[in-house]
Amino acid sequence: MITTTTTTTTRRARHSAWRQAGRALVAHAGSLRATLAGLGLLAAVVLARPAWWPLAGAIALLAANLVVALVLHPGLRRRLPLLVAHLALLGLVVAVAAGRLLALDGRFELTEGLPFDGRLLDQDAGALHRPQLHRLAFTQLGFEIDYAPGRKRGATRNTVQWTDDQGRPQRAVIGDHHPLVLAGHRISTSPNKGFAPLLRWQPAQGEAVRGAVHLPSFPMHELRQSREWALPDGRSAWVLLQTDETLIDPQRADRFRLPGRHQLVLRVGEQRAVLAPGEALVLPGGTLVYEGLRTWMGYRVAYDPSLPWLLAASLLAALALALHYVQKFWGMPAAWGGSGVAGG
Amino acid sequence: MDETQLLRGALALYAAAGASLRGPRRALGWLTAALLLHTGALALRWQALGHGPFTTLHEILSSNLWSLVALFTAAAWALRELRPALAAAMPVWALLAAWLLVADPAPGHFPPTYATPLLYLHTLVGKLFLGLLLVAVALGAVPVLRRTARGRRWFAAAPDDRRLDELAHRFAAFAFVFETLMLIVGAVWAQDAWGRYWAWDPLESWAFVTWLALAATLHGRATLRPSPARHGAWLAAVFVVAFLTFFGVPFLSMAPHKGAI
Repeated sequence: MITTTTTTTTRRARHSAWRQAGRALVAHAGSLRATLAGLGLLAAVVLARPAWWPLAGAIALLAANLVVALVLHPGLRRRLPLLVAHLALLGLVVAVAAGRLLALDGRFELTEGLPFDGRLLDQDAGALHRPQLHRLAFTQLGFEIDYAPGRKRGATRNTVQWTDDQGRPQRAVIGDHHPLVLAGHRISTSPNKGFAPLLRWQPAQGEAVRGAVHLPSFPMHELRQSREWALPDGRSAWVLLQTDETLIDPQRADRFRLPGRHQLVLRVGEQRAVLAPGEALVLPGGTLVYEGLRTWMGYRVAYDPSLPWLLAASLLAALALALHYVQKFWGMPAAWGGSGVAGG
Repeated sequence: MDETQLLRGALALYAAAGASLRGPRRALGWLTAALLLHTGALALRWQALGHGPFTTLHEILSSNLWSLVALFTAAAWALRELRPALAAAMPVWALLAAWLLVADPAPGHFPPTYATPLLYLHTLVGKLFLGLLLVAVALGAVPVLRRTARGRRWFAAAPDDRRLDELAHRFAAFAFVFETLMLIVGAVWAQDAWGRYWAWDPLESWAFVTWLALAATLHGRATLRPSPARHGAWLAAVFVVAFLTFFGVPFLSMAPHKGAI
């Protein structure tokens, strides 16, 4: 009997010790010292940038610290502006996480006069992103780009055309700070743009195939204006744009433009030709026609439904913090009073 | 007078303010006169180039010297307790002025991404952040300097350490609010200009680390209850990180986001 009582007492004592240890651990997890450790860890991770997951881990630790602090410290809850600022920070973390899961960030190039077909050159999509690129069928109708002396790029004005949900044709000039917004996607011009020779492969029998060869970005790769194009039968055509004009004069303010005089050097296997627009190279099995020169523009497409929430949460955090400090320092009556946790 | 003459005159008057720190009111008078000339120099340059001082190292140093001095001077005219701390802010201004003298004054290219009202808003809140932080650092530096006999003599007329510490905390707190706004406006601008609000490029990373450092200082003061001198040292450390972010990273980083404003 005595042994049983002793065992029960020991169990109770052990249970109590565990409970106390648990409470101490939770209190520590919600302490300002833990906040300081979390802030230091996050700063170290930001500067080291090993991968995305340590960053997410450090932010999650700080968020957990804040949640525990909100539960444990009534003083933090009593000061409404301080409480709102911290809750807004939690909201910001949630919005960023949701945005990462739902977002799309992609790049594509579009030839002048041709519609976007929904294909991207590369993309970074969240795990829960639902592709809707088929809704972005717009056409780029050419662009103007100003250059300051020294070939320093100035304003970009890219005319685009699309059909809205009611079937009405729409047109706009986008560029720099003016993206095209379609179905929640923001389509921005990029610094990448250049020349696109249009080619038509007319086989001896069957349908003709058209294609645009996007030459390397101009003027960045001015001396490398060549690229390969795959013919439908698997052969490779090498094209080179030649012009004797100075297209963007580095000595003065100028503007991106198509060359007035130019020719296209075309090489398929052993055969080589220098073509003007409208001329053709006859090859075994068909004819390759150079139809003319157009431009291409590189775009970035971004979709992130969390953006308005991010802005709202971050502004709310900043303004609530400002109000907290005004109340604290200027002695305005704090309606909810209290002096528990000094939130800084 | 042309821009160069006005700027040189302003720098001479800043130097005169530095030489008359024993009489803070007189120093404030010199600083106010210097600011008038400096404002004229910046205005002439703005008029000549058609854009504000946002692009080159010379312009950024000049505009930040102006804003740091302007904010401190306005605060010191309004708050008498601040005046003795002028001496503690002076080395930062002297560093910027000396750097400005050797920086190439040739005009730079105004990028198309700068043609937005967000530039002015981002610059405004950024300058308020750095200016308020410098005031906090100067106030916090007095208890640190008072640890030496010369410091005690030099700052004999300044308020006691506790009061300086409280004032430093207040300025640091509002610097934090403006730094938060600077990051928000910068993110909105990046979303417009590049299609992403945050990409952890060197400037964004260092700006965020500055924010974390100031957040840690504010939280640390509440929980660790440091002495005024220790709190002053923390604020000085935060200012070093902020200074590197403002004047180091934009000119050392090869990342596309130069952000030099």
